[in-house]
Amino acid sequence: MVIADPIYYIVLPLLTAFLLPLFGKLYKPLIGIIPGFVFLFLAYMSVILMIDIRPDNPIITKIAGWTPPFGINLVFSSFSGFIASLISIMGFLIWAYSYKFKKVGFDDSLKYFILLLLVVTGSIGIVLTGDIFNLFVFLEITGISAYALTALYRGRDGAEAAFKFLLIGAFASSMILLAIILLYTQVGTLNMAEISVRMHEVDLKIKVLIFILFFVGFGIEAEMFPLNGWVPDAYSQAPGPIAAVFAGMVAKAGIYALVRIIYLMFDLEGAFHLLLIMGVITMIIAEVVALRQEALRRMLAYSSIGQMGLIMIAFSFNTEQGVFAAIFLMFNHAIIKSLLFLTTSFLVYNTKTKLISDLDGFGKKMPLVSLLFGLGAFAIVGLPPFSGFWSKLYVLIAAANQHMEVIIALILSVSVVEIIYYFKVISRLYFRKASEEIPIQKPSLNSSIVMIVLGLIIISVGVYPDLITGLIENATTSLLNKDLYIEKILPGLAEIIN
Amino acid sequence: MMNSLFLLLFILFGSAILSYIGHRISETLGNIIVVVGAFSASIWFFVGFETPAEFSYKIADFDALWSFSSYSWIFAALVSILSPLALLYSTSYMKGKERLGTFYFNFFLSILGMIGITMSQDFISLFIFWEIMTWSSYLIVIYLGKDVEKVGIKYMIFSAIGAYALLMGIVLINREVGSLLIEDAFAYFPQIQFSTQLLIGILLLIGFSIKSAMMPLHVWAPGAYSNSPMSYTAVFSGALSKMGIYGLGLVFIRLLSSGEFTLINEIFAWAGAITTLMATFYAIIQDDAKKLLAYSSIGQLGYIIVGVAIGTELSIMAAIYLAILHAAFKGNLFMAIGAVEKQTGSTDMTLVTGLIRKMPLTFFSTLVSIIALAAVPPLGGFVGKWMLYQSLLASEHFFLIIVIFTASTAAFLYSFKILYSLFLGQEEPEFKNIKEAPLPMLIPMILLSLFLIVTGTFPGILFEPIANGMKYLGFNDVNWNMSLLVNAWGDEVNLQHVSMYIGTIFIVAFIFISLKNRKRTRYVTTKDISTSGEIPLPHENLSFKLNFYKPFERAISPVMKKTMDSIYDEIGNGLNALFQFIRYIYSGNGQGYALYVIIFFVLLLLLKNQIFGL
Amino acid sequence: MNWSLILGITITIITAFTVGMFYGGISRKVTARIQNRVGPPIWQNFLDVLKLYSKESAIHHGWMQHLGPLWAITASTATLMFVPILNNGQFYQNLNFSGDLIFLMYMMVFGQLGMALGAGQTGNPNSAIGVSRGLSQMVGYKVPWLLALVAIMVQYKATSITGLIELQNQIGWLMFASPFAFIAGLLAFIGMMHYSPFDIVFAPSELASGPPSEFGGKYLGLMMTSGSIFTFAKLVLFVDVFLGGASNILELLLKTFVIYMIPVIYGIVSPRYRTEQSIRYFWGWPTFFGVIGMLYAWYMIS
Repeated sequence: MVIADPIYYIVLPLLTAFLLPLFGKLYKPLIGIIPGFVFLFLAYMSVILMIDIRPDNPIITKIAGWTPPFGINLVFSSFSGFIASLISIMGFLIWAYSYKFKKVGFDDSLKYFILLLLVVTGSIGIVLTGDIFNLFVFLEITGISAYALTALYRGRDGAEAAFKFLLIGAFASSMILLAIILLYTQVGTLNMAEISVRMHEVDLKIKVLIFILFFVGFGIEAEMFPLNGWVPDAYSQAPGPIAAVFAGMVAKAGIYALVRIIYLMFDLEGAFHLLLIMGVITMIIAEVVALRQEALRRMLAYSSIGQMGLIMIAFSFNTEQGVFAAIFLMFNHAIIKSLLFLTTSFLVYNTKTKLISDLDGFGKKMPLVSLLFGLGAFAIVGLPPFSGFWSKLYVLIAAANQHMEVIIALILSVSVVEIIYYFKVISRLYFRKASEEIPIQKPSLNSSIVMIVLGLIIISVGVYPDLITGLIENATTSLLNKDLYIEKILPGLAEIIN
Repeated sequence: MMNSLFLLLFILFGSAILSYIGHRISETLGNIIVVVGAFSASIWFFVGFETPAEFSYKIADFDALWSFSSYSWIFAALVSILSPLALLYSTSYMKGKERLGTFYFNFFLSILGMIGITMSQDFISLFIFWEIMTWSSYLIVIYLGKDVEKVGIKYMIFSAIGAYALLMGIVLINREVGSLLIEDAFAYFPQIQFSTQLLIGILLLIGFSIKSAMMPLHVWAPGAYSNSPMSYTAVFSGALSKMGIYGLGLVFIRLLSSGEFTLINEIFAWAGAITTLMATFYAIIQDDAKKLLAYSSIGQLGYIIVGVAIGTELSIMAAIYLAILHAAFKGNLFMAIGAVEKQTGSTDMTLVTGLIRKMPLTFFSTLVSIIALAAVPPLGGFVGKWMLYQSLLASEHFFLIIVIFTASTAAFLYSFKILYSLFLGQEEPEFKNIKEAPLPMLIPMILLSLFLIVTGTFPGILFEPIANGMKYLGFNDVNWNMSLLVNAWGDEVNLQHVSMYIGTIFIVAFIFISLKNRKRTRYVTTKDISTSGEIPLPHENLSFKLNFYKPFERAISPVMKKTMDSIYDEIGNGLNALFQFIRYIYSGNGQGYALYVIIFFVLLLLLKNQIFGL
Repeated sequence: MNWSLILGITITIITAFTVGMFYGGISRKVTARIQNRVGPPIWQNFLDVLKLYSKESAIHHGWMQHLGPLWAITASTATLMFVPILNNGQFYQNLNFSGDLIFLMYMMVFGQLGMALGAGQTGNPNSAIGVSRGLSQMVGYKVPWLLALVAIMVQYKATSITGLIELQNQIGWLMFASPFAFIAGLLAFIGMMHYSPFDIVFAPSELASGPPSEFGGKYLGLMMTSGSIFTFAKLVLFVDVFLGGASNILELLLKTFVIYMIPVIYGIVSPRYRTEQSIRYFWGWPTFFGVIGMLYAWYMIS
């Protein structure tokens, strides 16, 4: 029996990140190998924890022995646990994809792995923490390592992208910090469960102000329009696997935080409406802009924003089906977008200009990568029998049950746009003659395996969605059952206060 | 013991995978697998189901049920007959092409999709199979790499619009009925609020009618039909488009059965009729045989849509009958044109000429199919058209008859054009060494031709399953006779008399004209003709092919000015310009982005009273 | 074997042939007289056919050409078989009850298609041009013709010709009961007879007689035979539908002759239309009358 405790999610990668330079001094290849073991352990621990977790028995870990509300606690519930597991498993896959990182062209693996570890720590921390200030800290960890990762290539474009990211990220930090300060003055606690209980004491106007601050702050991380100016640059300038990290982890953590705040702390009807409107606008604008992109990475980045918009829409329904759909979407998006970014990284590497128009005939040159890209594209636009279909279906069903026919029509129209730009790429990959023979960098074995694994997940969830729906149902129950969350963290507190 | 339905899909999927692998190893092996797989699936379909097979399961909390209804069985049978023939044909037609594995993989997948659609008794599996069919056919449409951007994307856009209309209808049904089983939907549909009924009905109809290429949603079809390899187009136009008809039948007859939707029926019937007329006009002006047949397919589907939309007993019967016949003659025609393409390298009707003596059997099957298409007695096509007109007369759709009858008459123009241009006319030296198509291509064509000849006299062999299938649609005792057509007013056509008479006279006259005639005459080339005394030089062009129907074009020019394509292009360009404008929101300027954040924040603060109802 | 049926068929065909041939002769004579010529004797067509049948062809262009005239004769006699010659089955019934108007409309195209294919194989561009014009023009006159027939079928709820004749015994001729349909039908009928101004298909001086230009001997003889039978069949059909049929041969001859002379006379005084002109002509007034007839029928039943 392995010791399985959510605390390891934070401690282990953080510690490794600090010790990695030392290992590097001892023996160079350890830089690549050690993070792998850490990720493997985290992934393994996720599986162990997820087997037992039920909506009514979240694992609550107190840090340094202080009980909440005084101490910081980590809450591994069905929902947060699911997302954390997703992130850790994705972390392992991305490590496996890139552990021979320097061979792909850049010899700075130490920085890369440290930052990768930090960004994973930060993202998981955001998801697991039960303390609002702690959440802010993790957000900063994620943010800073993400800025650094964006600029990892030290090129002009990378620096510019990182600067934009930093600039807007600074807004996010300051707004969230401001919100936390305001909140603390009102309720006198930083524990999210306790805040939730005490929230009704707060004056509505201040409550709304705090909410808006949070909304804008987390909206930046969750790639909400018009706060997502950093996204296309960051996604297209960061190293290939890091774009997958952004799509699969950072954005997920951002939307998680936003949703956690809305569902747990702010009982505002308008919040859901706002989320719906912003989700729709985000989705439409992003997909439309994606259509007009010429660079593959940027196209994927905008597509990613569009998907985040869809997730926001799903969360905004505030119904069981909506949340279910949203979590399913998060899962699918993490898997599929990662696959797309990982394959794209190889496709783009072998072109001169990184433009879609350079991809003619790659289906022959790089059969596996192209096939997997095609698979990912099919899945992300929601064609059955791939996993993306089911999440889209659930979103539509949730919208239908809310009597939102217009939203359905919008989502579907946007899906048509999505189909257009993804199929443009596919038809270039497969049905155009290659222009010239340039030497092709074949994918290494480890990265091929990672991509194949992701592809298999997409197909198997697509053919048999019940593999995953059970977990998602639990996660949904856990998110919606706010009282249970409070009761488990602070037993009896609700009665005392009310 | 595996469920027999599941096994059917399993055979098809297995054939898909195996033929891919087989074609990677060697073409012969691949072809053997293709033919064996296709025929074994077909045989299993016809003999494997002694009892009505059922397979019910739950997927992602939705009840799903597979089973052939007597109605869907007709369409499944159509697929099961046409697809092995097309695949047999394909082994020879596609010889030497690249990436055959992918081609056959997708071919089998789209067959699987079609079979799946017909066996789905719930909307969720129907939709899944529908999409599998769609994307696999898309991959074949662009397989040859011609006009990928234009044709492929157009096909995909329209398919997606159709599929998503369908999906929206499905989720609304799920909301209202609480179940996705098709039977439940039929049962509870009348209790739904009327406006929702209307919305669901229209959405489903749009979804299905796009696949059956109804105007104004047809613009994908000419390109898609003519760009895929002909062996697939035979199935594409013959069977795949019928999936739309299948769905339309379900929606019109079972779902919108309350009698409050006659306006929708009328609109769709008229849309079908106008489709027929316009597509026929467009077919007439085409110079590429493939394009001509593509438009002709759209036109023929228009008749079927009319029949389904009218929704009387006779019209439904006519529609299903025509659907089957269309699969046979249009499948046959596409195969024949494919044979011409294979042997001569072109389907340009102004170029290819005089093949009748080189490819007599191909000509024969083209001729038979054309006669059936033009609905000339005594071949099967006539029966369907007759029933359709009678049903329209009886249901008092007079002007509709005029439109489709005119279209039917105009269809003679392109029917003759295709026969004349490719097979008749001047024989040119460049086509001197053309040989008849190889046997695997001829066998399916001859079989389909025989089918068309037999149904001309004995349409009853088709009426039996159709009448059976119409029970599912609620028409419990459909009158039918083996070879006698009767309309609502008791007027009849005795097909046996017709065929016997025509046959007898034909033979008598044949003997008369051939006696002492044929033997003694000698064959002269098409250069040796009456030219009013002038002797044509060897390279003088004596063909009349270009602008064959120019006078007719002039006569119909007012209605041909604005095409649907150009309207869509304009919409597309407009949207593109709009999108390009939106695109500049992302200016790439960091300060601008920061400004967005601030503006957004300020806006929220300003509007907080409205948003949060303070 | 049903000998009486075979006898009937034979006699019908011979009658039709004879009458058709004579009408052709008369029309030639009338045309000549109006153009101030003497003209051939009215039995000239018989002599022509006889001569053609006794000739032997020396060349052929292939099977389709061989079958084309056959096809034509099959179709024209088949059309004849399904049209009642006299009312109440006084004459041989042939196959009157085995087909209806819609069937006939398709049957009538059968022969043209065969002819067109036969002409196509000869490779003569004039033939192809003629066919192209003929088919185009057919779409033109089919529209008013259809409107007329559909109006009648709808109004009287019958698609069989025998049914329509019986009906006219009770309510009088349809040319009076449904006047607009009759006008449309008549105008379309003029086009159907391919006399001037609608003779661009054969356009003797321009196309060297168009589709049949490559046929001679027995082929041409068979085509002429078929043409005269077909003319008679069309006339009888028109009389049956609009003029109440005929109760004896004399009445039939009178009625058909009157109808026949309309296109002939009309043709003599008209110049030739180009194809698109004739199509536009048919889609003009004749169609207008057809639509009026249809609306009238609609009004009458509702």
